[in-house]
Amino acid sequence: MSTESIKIAIEGVGCVGGFGCGHTAFVSALQQGYAKAQLEEKVHPDGSAFLPALLADTSRLTDFVARRALRRIDHYARMALLGGYLALEDAGVPSSACEKLGVIVASGYGATTTTINFLDSVIDNGDSYASPTNFSNSVHNVAAAYLSMQLQALGPSLTVSQFELSICAALQSAVCWLEQGRVDKVLIGAVDERNALLNDYCWQRSAASDGANTQIAPFDYRRQSAIAGEGAAFLLLSRRDDNTSCGNTPYGYITGLDSGRCTPAQLAADSTAADVLVLGADGQLATADSYSRLAADLGEVLPLVSCAPCYGSLPTGQAFDLIAAALMLRDQCVYGVAAGSKQLVNSPLRTISALKFAPDGQFGQITLSSQAGVYA
Amino acid sequence: MYPAVCVAGIGCICAAGDTLQQAVDSMLRAERHLGAAPIFATTHAEPYPVFPVKKELSHYAFSSAGMRYMRTANLGLEAAHQAIEQSGIDIEQLRTLKVGVCMGTTVGSSMDVEAFYADYRQGATPDMRPIDCFYNSNPAAVISTYFGFNGPQQTIVNACSSGTDAIGTAAMWLRNGCCDVVLAGGADELCRTTYNGFAALQISSPQPCSPFSAERSGLNLGEGAAVLVLARAEVIKQLALAQPYGYVLGYGSGSDGWHLTAPHPEGRGLQQAVHEAIADCADVSGRGVTLDRLAFVNTHGTGTKDNDRVEGLVLAQLLPKTPFHSTKGYTGHTLGAAGAIEAALTLEFLQRQQIPASAGFNVQDPAIALSPVTSNTSFTGNIALSESLAFGGNNAALILGIAEAS
Repeated sequence: MSTESIKIAIEGVGCVGGFGCGHTAFVSALQQGYAKAQLEEKVHPDGSAFLPALLADTSRLTDFVARRALRRIDHYARMALLGGYLALEDAGVPSSACEKLGVIVASGYGATTTTINFLDSVIDNGDSYASPTNFSNSVHNVAAAYLSMQLQALGPSLTVSQFELSICAALQSAVCWLEQGRVDKVLIGAVDERNALLNDYCWQRSAASDGANTQIAPFDYRRQSAIAGEGAAFLLLSRRDDNTSCGNTPYGYITGLDSGRCTPAQLAADSTAADVLVLGADGQLATADSYSRLAADLGEVLPLVSCAPCYGSLPTGQAFDLIAAALMLRDQCVYGVAAGSKQLVNSPLRTISALKFAPDGQFGQITLSSQAGVYA
Repeated sequence: MYPAVCVAGIGCICAAGDTLQQAVDSMLRAERHLGAAPIFATTHAEPYPVFPVKKELSHYAFSSAGMRYMRTANLGLEAAHQAIEQSGIDIEQLRTLKVGVCMGTTVGSSMDVEAFYADYRQGATPDMRPIDCFYNSNPAAVISTYFGFNGPQQTIVNACSSGTDAIGTAAMWLRNGCCDVVLAGGADELCRTTYNGFAALQISSPQPCSPFSAERSGLNLGEGAAVLVLARAEVIKQLALAQPYGYVLGYGSGSDGWHLTAPHPEGRGLQQAVHEAIADCADVSGRGVTLDRLAFVNTHGTGTKDNDRVEGLVLAQLLPKTPFHSTKGYTGHTLGAAGAIEAALTLEFLQRQQIPASAGFNVQDPAIALSPVTSNTSFTGNIALSESLAFGGNNAALILGIAEAS
């Protein structure tokens, strides 16, 4: 992707997940290298078990939204609301000043639990008595809609669903909006929720893990060590024109965005300009081979880290990697679990890439830099 | 203002026809291919009629393991095939370019696996193929992978404005330079979940829909897909293609910030979308576009009380003298595909310099100051507006054009 001379700055970040609420909690987990999973009971005639999960607590949302307004808003949309409000708070943008804000939400699965609840209402009560509330809250753009309503953000709103590559796809549009002047600021983020059907039952059917995992082992490519995660990760992006110096110092700038299909060897050759590569390796066997081959090419060349043990395995995990990269640039410190033997202390950090593979081998790569620059 | 984005080819499949030409021909003959009942089982005492696609789509099977894509993905593939063929671009040549795919959908990204889930609930061990099929059927990914493209993929899930947003987003990608060509559109299938959901919301009509009519009683669901092959002018030249079929001149969107399922009573987001689309425009000769140059408006026009009242209000304020119509009476409401199908129809109507009667309209609604066209209507002009409204308060508008009519 190439642009003209605008800079796309990360003004604020907000996140909630199994690590806790907010970027301070996220940094603590990143420094520790993992977040402690809860055990959720899977109940099914196939066999009951206690399976670990990294779950999000949205209780802090009442700091931003009146409890009454949250009555009909489900956990999925609450996570997105909280992530969005935290990013705005972090950027110092009052929620009353969002009228011209653009909103983009990426999600791999959408509001899965409410979708399942709607199916329950059909199966239990019959076609004629399905739940209208569950149906209207099951649409994919429900999180973006509640963000627009609560913030009175009347600019463009977009929801994107591209499984593992959702946030990369969503950023493509955010960059266009900012570059073409449709908005000056975009609240962009990702949200996915853990669901018993998908994460416990379907995962176990497709790639059984022994249930004894307590942490994701992102660089053990031989076994399924994924732990279901959920949460929301949001960033406030702004357009900073040349010679403009305004507001706070941003976390960094988005300077590269690429996606498609190429071999890990080609990707490795393209990634060496980064000081650190954040891999989306999250213990899923379906993508382990792609990460393994990339790590074989790059492990001795530049530091490779995974942050997934802190937020879990979820399709939109790359959004958390993006926030981790922004925090690394801010703190000039490499966080996460390291792979390979390359020394992690590599200050000053100028450029960090976040790379995610989909099971079909496609990739999405996002590059952040401490200095503004045009896209590569 | 940005240069126009060229439409090199169009594919379209819906209840009105298996191709764009068939669909427009049948509309101009006032045919309404409404099915009395859905193609799936339902226990509603009075079934809601739907607009199904009749063409067999089974030739897009997976080559391995007997797996098939979801019907939504098959519909998208069918439209993409037609669009590429019409563009005249050799597929091998296309693969040498940076080709993005941007598709709108609703059902195509939803885990509507009712039978699987019912078995799971009962403690059975259901066949995993519906889940695998869901994972394999992301519309943008399917089209990109099927044709061997290597550009960005994006499936937009903005409910009923998804197709319009997908085409607008694709136009932005081309202006931005991140692609040489983009296949953009929308696809959606009829399914029990949306059928039961719209019935639960009490906005499905047991009768053929009648957009803007006083006695309208709701929408009829439909299914289908449309895909546009979009490219910048220099790429069209580089590929030595014929004159573009049409142009995407402008795109705008706006949020109501009001209610999850009801439009803002004054159409706040829709007004913003239309104004933004106009401001975004440059016509083929590089001139800006003003509202008075619009030859007609393709409305969202679902036939629900709220949608049509708000759309009528906005049209009365912004375009009181411009003819308008709804095509939902011929296609049904195809949800995430609607905006794309209607963009395709709008371009073909511009080519023919004629729009069909707004099917189902009978009686002027006193709450709506304007009436849609009630017979096939000829016009002069080469620019039109197509608009979409959606759950979540999304509103989107496209300004579409053709070269000056000779």
